[in-house]
Amino acid sequence: MNVRRWTPIFLSGVMLVLTLALAACASTPAPAATESGSDGAAAGEKGGDLVIAFPASSEPASLDGHIDPYQPTWLFDSFVADPLLVQMPDGSYMPALAESWETSEDGLTWTFHLRDNVTFQDGTPFNAEAVKYNIERVRAPETQSAQMANDLGPIASVEVVDEFTVQINYDEIWVTLLDALRRMPIWSPAAAEEAGLANFDKHLVGAGPFLMEEWVPNDRIVFRKWEDYGGWNSIQNHEGPAYLDSVTISFIGEDAVLGSVVSTGAADIARELPTAYIEDYRDQDGYEFITGYQAGTGLQMVINVRNAPLNILEVRQALEYGTDQAAANDLLYDGTYLVSYGPLNVVHPCYWDGVEEMYPYDPEQAKQLLESVGYRDEDGNGIREAHGVPGVEDGTPLTLRWTVLHHEEIGEAIQAQWREIGVDLALELVPGPVQLERVNARDFDLIYERQRSPDPMILDMVWNSRWDEPGGWAWTGFVDATLDETVSQLRTNPDMAARCELAAQAQQIIMENAAVLPTLSQPVFYGLNDGVKDFQLASEGNYFYLHNTYIQD
Amino acid sequence: MLQYIGNRLLQMIPVLFLISLIVFMIMHALPGDPAQLMLAGAESGSVTPERLEELRAQMGLNDPLVVQYGRFISHALRGDLGNSIRLRQPVTQLIAERFGYTLQLSMAGLVVAVVVGMGTGILAALNQNTWIDTLSMVIAYLGVSMPLFWLGLLLILIFSFQLKWLPPAGGSGFKALILPAVTLGFVSAGIISRLTRSSLIETMSEDYIRAARAKGLPQRLLVGRHALKNALIPVVTILGIQFGGMLAGAVVTETVFSRPGLGRLIVSAILWKDYPLVQGIVLFLAVIYLGVNLLVDISYAWIDPRIHYGNSR
Repeated sequence: MNVRRWTPIFLSGVMLVLTLALAACASTPAPAATESGSDGAAAGEKGGDLVIAFPASSEPASLDGHIDPYQPTWLFDSFVADPLLVQMPDGSYMPALAESWETSEDGLTWTFHLRDNVTFQDGTPFNAEAVKYNIERVRAPETQSAQMANDLGPIASVEVVDEFTVQINYDEIWVTLLDALRRMPIWSPAAAEEAGLANFDKHLVGAGPFLMEEWVPNDRIVFRKWEDYGGWNSIQNHEGPAYLDSVTISFIGEDAVLGSVVSTGAADIARELPTAYIEDYRDQDGYEFITGYQAGTGLQMVINVRNAPLNILEVRQALEYGTDQAAANDLLYDGTYLVSYGPLNVVHPCYWDGVEEMYPYDPEQAKQLLESVGYRDEDGNGIREAHGVPGVEDGTPLTLRWTVLHHEEIGEAIQAQWREIGVDLALELVPGPVQLERVNARDFDLIYERQRSPDPMILDMVWNSRWDEPGGWAWTGFVDATLDETVSQLRTNPDMAARCELAAQAQQIIMENAAVLPTLSQPVFYGLNDGVKDFQLASEGNYFYLHNTYIQD
Repeated sequence: MLQYIGNRLLQMIPVLFLISLIVFMIMHALPGDPAQLMLAGAESGSVTPERLEELRAQMGLNDPLVVQYGRFISHALRGDLGNSIRLRQPVTQLIAERFGYTLQLSMAGLVVAVVVGMGTGILAALNQNTWIDTLSMVIAYLGVSMPLFWLGLLLILIFSFQLKWLPPAGGSGFKALILPAVTLGFVSAGIISRLTRSSLIETMSEDYIRAARAKGLPQRLLVGRHALKNALIPVVTILGIQFGGMLAGAVVTETVFSRPGLGRLIVSAILWKDYPLVQGIVLFLAVIYLGVNLLVDISYAWIDPRIHYGNSR
């Protein structure tokens, strides 16, 4: 009986003890989010323990950039492993583990001359064999590289010329090799072999400024300074190791928390600061606010031109005239986003500003165009119906679907604008799998499709009708022989000026045909504690370098 | 009793089989192709149809559904839940890595629920119809009716952002456990508090309590030794059910407090159509839930001598 009397208390006690035991087991001496600060730096000495808060949605599935196709993965890899070359904030390519490189006259062979004084973090030497191993690892079928293998292109062979010279041979010209190599981490072959494909991302070993200490999925990644780092990257402005003692990436699941972690001292930097929290950092004492822009397509809505009425040019043009992107930007984001006018955003190196004059906001023009093809509002409900529109049954209201993964508020703003011109816009917020189903079935009107790259080749991906296939990115069904020919050359012409000229022609054709509705470009906002010094954004706003960063008391 | 436990364990087999079949069917009925989803996240560059087909074959997605299900079940019976498509690790390993965090949170939540729930419940019952009773029940109703995510954010605002006592996010250390545990436990505390109050009030009006009081037994002994013991029987029983609910509530709590755990793992697995991972976690949670319920039923007989299972009288 005594046992029964004490049962509730006993059970509670057991639970409490077990909970404390579990808490003790799960806790580690790693720096928690609250332990940020600059106590690691002695007076006059650069250092510090940096905590960077990332939205939880940015956490990669695998930390091995040979496997995982996401930019955060390549960013975290860059802490551990210097690549062969680095893209400087001005967009130029400069040496990292490779001292120099050249292409053959026919453009089919790339030769890289490597540094001869580099060792990996496990003490094994960096040489041409290591580069060959890394490229072959990416291309091996068992690696199942989702993106990097594709970016390296159709390599015919990799040859070790001598200990510090390696040659990459192609059968066809591959102009974007440097863009792939500046992202591709060079891992220690010995460490990669030892850990195996599945486990290497828990034990990354490269020749970069930081050692990977631990990754607790859904929580944090911790890096520690590698004391033997030789500053082999052109981005670094000093000899020897990086300054920071440690870097902790903390993944935050809740926007409200992400917006406040820096102002409360729980982190030093918040990346992808939610728009609502910008004012807490911009022009505030003790904080710095940085906006990073990223070249690419912006948050564009591609138009399915296969079916009526969107196969009618005038209807598509009416939608362009009826959209006021700048007003949406002011309304929703206080003007902090970038307005897009065409298939490349305004910060893209190959942006053609001719698109800005093509469709100024002009609702009257939009109305006239719709009426010219037979869309009139005869029942007076504010939405136009078809009256003799080719391919559309008479009386059918002009209702279009707007399918997005996020940023549905842009759709809401444009929904209100299009109502003015008599177009009913139905918003559809879907998860990734559903978006892909829609794309596969070509069952959409306007669908979100964003590509992010400073290379104009993204125009070929999205607009060359050759890629209108499963897994391809040409979703719109728009076919134009001149456009196909123009964007195809982006894959083979190595001259950047000529490529931008081709890209300009492509942008003109796409917008003349109104095959895309440009909206806005999302910047990457960073909120920083102003004790963080020399935090360097890359040429792409979601990339940054920590080689020179330190925390000042 | 042993026969009863054996029967209950046997009953679990068809239940688990049905659960696995339903989860398998739902996952395959949802739109989306895991191979394409994996490649669709890619940031720059398209993937050829040949590559897509190759990936599908490597993932075993080209086999008929019956073959895929048969393979899953036969492996599961041997304790192998397969490999996650996206994370490329054994599902059992992923569950083992994350379950500790969820279990830790659920148990800490339960401790909060028991301490707060029983405490306010007993206070309310012993001070029936006074301001203490009213206040306790207001707290209980608040707990029952407040959404988890909102309570979580409120606590972060007060204790992390304003007072700066506790971290707003993370899964390491005891301090990071306090706010999530209070959030999760507060909801159950409301239910336990109301149950404790009504049960204790009912017990206090029983004849044997009146007899004990008539004998001049002090209030402290009356409640502590006689009333509470009987009044808490239903409360202990409901703890098991609450524990199951807490495993579910951990999904929201883990997101708000950015804690690692099974809840966040399964949400991302569903979004990525990671069949093996979703199936494995659901099956695992079903076993836990059924196991906890069985323990509750067994403990019921153990705590209350009036209850018997099987043929014994």
